[in-house]
Amino acid sequence: MSERPFFVGYLPAPGPLRTFLLSMCVLLIAGLAGAGFLMGAAQDDPGPGAFRFDYGRQTVTGVVEMTPYPVIHVVKGNDRIKPGDSFMMTAGGKSGVDGRAMPLNGQLAQVSGIVLERGDLYMMQVRGGRNGLQAAEGDAPEIMAEPQGRWQLTGEICDGKCLAGAMRPGRGLAHKACANLCLLGDVPPIFVSSQPVLGEEFLLVTGPDGTRLPREAYDFVAQYITAEGELTRRGDLLVWEIDIDTIELSE
Amino acid sequence: MDVAQALVMGMQTWGIIGALVALVFISIGIDRIDEDARGAYIFRPLLIPGVLLIWPIVLWRWWQIETECAAWADRYRPVRKSYGLAVIAMSIGIVVIVITGLSVRQTWPDDVAPVQLSEGTSQ
Amino acid sequence: MSVKYTPVQWNPNKWIYDGVMLAAVAAFLWVFLYVTPDALDHERAVDPQIHNARAFGACAFMMLTVILCIGPAARLDKRFLPLLYNRRHFGVMTTFVAITHSGYILNWYFNFSSSDKYVGLLYANSSFGQLAGFPFEIFGIFALICLMILAATSHDFWLKFLTPPVWKRLHYLIYAAYFSVAAHISFGILQDQQNHVFTVMFMAGAAAVILLHLAAWWSERNDPVSKDGAWVKVGPASSFREGFAKIKRLANGDRVAIFLMEGQLSAIANACAHQNGPLGEGKIIDCLVTCPWHGFQYDVRSGRSPAPFTEMVPTYRLRLVGDMVEVHPDANPPGTYVDPLPLPPVATAPIPKGEPA
Repeated sequence: MSERPFFVGYLPAPGPLRTFLLSMCVLLIAGLAGAGFLMGAAQDDPGPGAFRFDYGRQTVTGVVEMTPYPVIHVVKGNDRIKPGDSFMMTAGGKSGVDGRAMPLNGQLAQVSGIVLERGDLYMMQVRGGRNGLQAAEGDAPEIMAEPQGRWQLTGEICDGKCLAGAMRPGRGLAHKACANLCLLGDVPPIFVSSQPVLGEEFLLVTGPDGTRLPREAYDFVAQYITAEGELTRRGDLLVWEIDIDTIELSE
Repeated sequence: MDVAQALVMGMQTWGIIGALVALVFISIGIDRIDEDARGAYIFRPLLIPGVLLIWPIVLWRWWQIETECAAWADRYRPVRKSYGLAVIAMSIGIVVIVITGLSVRQTWPDDVAPVQLSEGTSQ
Repeated sequence: MSVKYTPVQWNPNKWIYDGVMLAAVAAFLWVFLYVTPDALDHERAVDPQIHNARAFGACAFMMLTVILCIGPAARLDKRFLPLLYNRRHFGVMTTFVAITHSGYILNWYFNFSSSDKYVGLLYANSSFGQLAGFPFEIFGIFALICLMILAATSHDFWLKFLTPPVWKRLHYLIYAAYFSVAAHISFGILQDQQNHVFTVMFMAGAAAVILLHLAAWWSERNDPVSKDGAWVKVGPASSFREGFAKIKRLANGDRVAIFLMEGQLSAIANACAHQNGPLGEGKIIDCLVTCPWHGFQYDVRSGRSPAPFTEMVPTYRLRLVGDMVEVHPDANPPGTYVDPLPLPPVATAPIPKGEPA
């Protein structure tokens, strides 16, 4: 029986143990640094969505439409936003502009704010109060809804704002609670389709017959689902009225 | 929402009671039950978070020490028996939860195309 | 060893331990936070808040994994005991890292809404009835509460106040916490991540913890147990070694450490008064039994720590029947002096000179 080195915390470490402990220290520091690199470098690309502060504040005039989520169909644009564009609106943080947009439904209004952009998806975070959204002079042209029939789509329900670039990444199950919180705060929900539908990858998703996305659908937010519903083109925006009884998790 | 609010309120109440217990325990109780703490004050604030979190256990032990109702031998009985149980439960639990997690994992269905089920009325 | 409590009883080894531990944590965080963004070839970077949250979350997982490996490693190979010595500081640091992770999450994902962020955290996702999409934050909250309890009760005062067995039971929460962390990861980031490097590293870490614990548990399972009743045989007098102990497990599960010091045998409880460390795996230094975990010392004849320390452990009675050493299973109250049992000089086995130390 040979005597093993015996470590006592408040005494100097015995000689034979020192080499072992030194190598453990080096291993721990190098190991954690290496793990930090591997884990950090394994993060997925969060996508191209972003707040476009570089565009500066955008102010345009258009017709407000409650779909029931507030959308504006641009009548008088600017350098960047052209007449005929349609985009969704939100307020700052996790809240919508429903309260301010409701009285202006079907009327001409001037909106001002910062654009969020992800590919074809446009959304405007309007400024607070009347500066962000106010009635404008003039006659509002009627916005025609063009029914596109019933569609079965596969994809993911997201909150439009985080998806469009308020958060990167702004979708996926790790982000589900945040997405739900946004939807509860009246941020418009977006359906990301697995493949383009009538040329669009992103669709505004609502409940049937002009209702809001039902609470039952929140359980499926951020999951990959297949469901059916009526598709309507409003301006240049596709609105999908999801039929929640048809929602199934995709294979 | 109501449940969540009740839970947050419950935690706040737990903390407030804990703070009261901590106040009494750290100023009076500790001197009565531990001679090593007499005259030692700098370490006491370190105990506050512990009391906040587990104040019922603190009260129970305080009462046990005051009434001397715990058998002295208990202190020298390491809890080895439950070690195996804890280790096995944790091991099985982790294996099950990781396999379950990976089995419900979805992949982005980019091979599934949209299907038009009926024509729009205006088309 | 406490005379009067102080926040931390520093000594050079603790400084070194904390220095190395903090250097390792700093290395992980620095590499994750400042080196990897350049390595990632993304059109637009991950939000800083999310990047930070991931860095601290991953760091807490790695730290917890290392901490949980130290215990069983030290049981399997005594050379790891020094890593056990100041593990509590490692644990407290892990708790701070985990709190930072939760802070970034709370102040990003659950901020900016009209509801309180703590309320939002608990109600935003209420899909409790499903596996995918389950509010995995709950697992993280539970693990964080466990870690906070463990960190908050890590001071030696709590060991003495709660008694080591109660303290140890409370600290078994670490196993529930680690399971909960595994669930938090499995139903959180593992659901989303397309790059599987993290998944592989997570599973490797969890597997190391599981295998080491099972191995340590298995190696201790076949500890022989004495039969119930008076006077238990320990072993022949010649089997004792000067300065070291033999450990005998009694029928009630208690363990006795029987030490040979200066040719005489004395028996004390195997459980150290501090944290129930295995005194019988320690050795006699300067006529005092020294615990292998934190170096608490006891007079082997009385089970008392030398003045000014006040710790005490129970003692046991011994007798010699022929060449057989026997111990009485009824423990004496802590600190009871027992006359040591002299062994016939020829019977002892002194360490031969010249053997490597």
